Amino acid sequence: MSTSLRIGLLLASIGVFAIIVFCVVKRKVNIKYSIVWILWALLSLLMAVFPETFYFLAHVLGIEMPVNAVFLIMIALLYALTFYVYITITKHNEEIIKLTYEIAALKKRVEELEQNER
Amino acid sequence: MKTLVIIPAYNEQDNIVKLVEEIRKYDYDYLVINDCSKDETARILDEHHFSHFDLPINLGIAGVTRVGFLYARDNGYDCVICIDGDGQHQPKYISLLENEIENGMDYCVGSRFVNEKKPRNMRMFGSRILCALIKFKTGKKVTDPTSGMRALGRRLIEDFSQSMNFYAEPDTICYLLHQGYKVKEVQVKMKEREAGVSYFHSPFKSMYFMLAEIMTILFVR
Repeated sequence: MSTSLRIGLLLASIGVFAIIVFCVVKRKVNIKYSIVWILWALLSLLMAVFPETFYFLAHVLGIEMPVNAVFLIMIALLYALTFYVYITITKHNEEIIKLTYEIAALKKRVEELEQNER
Repeated sequence: MKTLVIIPAYNEQDNIVKLVEEIRKYDYDYLVINDCSKDETARILDEHHFSHFDLPINLGIAGVTRVGFLYARDNGYDCVICIDGDGQHQPKYISLLENEIENGMDYCVGSRFVNEKKPRNMRMFGSRILCALIKFKTGKKVTDPTSGMRALGRRLIEDFSQSMNFYAEPDTICYLLHQGYKVKEVQVKMKEREAGVSYFHSPFKSMYFMLAEIMTILFVR
């Protein structure tokens, strides 16, 4: 890994970290969800400071250029994260359907009661 | 046996009154589910004092049927019949489906092609592909896999109200056949929709639907 790439990674990781903390403080993101992004920032920091880990990983995976190992790992993590988001969406979708049902049923019941009163 | 007819309705102001009046003639319990229509559907339902739900948000057909099944479950119905709000499913056939459920079937579909021949056009080409896939997967013959006129018995109401994956007709029937539920098709006639626009008005939606169905039947069900 070139020195400029290491510096880039270092700056990016500091930037990402700052943005996350800012968002948590401003209550734009739940702390629960910020953890994974903080780990993300730490990972890029790790890459910038100890590139040897990635030389080793690249060697194990049979990848000639260590930088490609970085890309591969990042993409794999992004896939995992995206899939996790899909799972969350599905869960929320289910909850929305149940809530919608409850609201609609209550509305119907109230209308019926109001009509009986009249 | 307590039977409920559920009628999903989205922008069906021109069809819904006629349809519900007809269902009322046969004296069924029914529930119109207005999926946050943008037209006058909500006002019309109120004015006529039809039994209905007004959903606060637009859920789409998958969510709407779920809401209907949840209502049926919570109110102790033994049989649920789904009828499209566009008037293409005729209420006079409801009793045919109801009878099959009463005779112990779990799932009964109103099919256009039990005794009739399937026409040769683009839509029916899709239908043929789905039939072939279901036959391949389960070894059983289905004549009208996309028919939305269906009845479910008590055993399935609970499952359908809890599971998110029972809204698309072709893969649902494939799953039920595979699991050994008692499924039957009865001959019905359907009309062309009388007014308004169908969910499948765009060819891309139809193509996406076909692709999703083929994948689901092949790999999931």
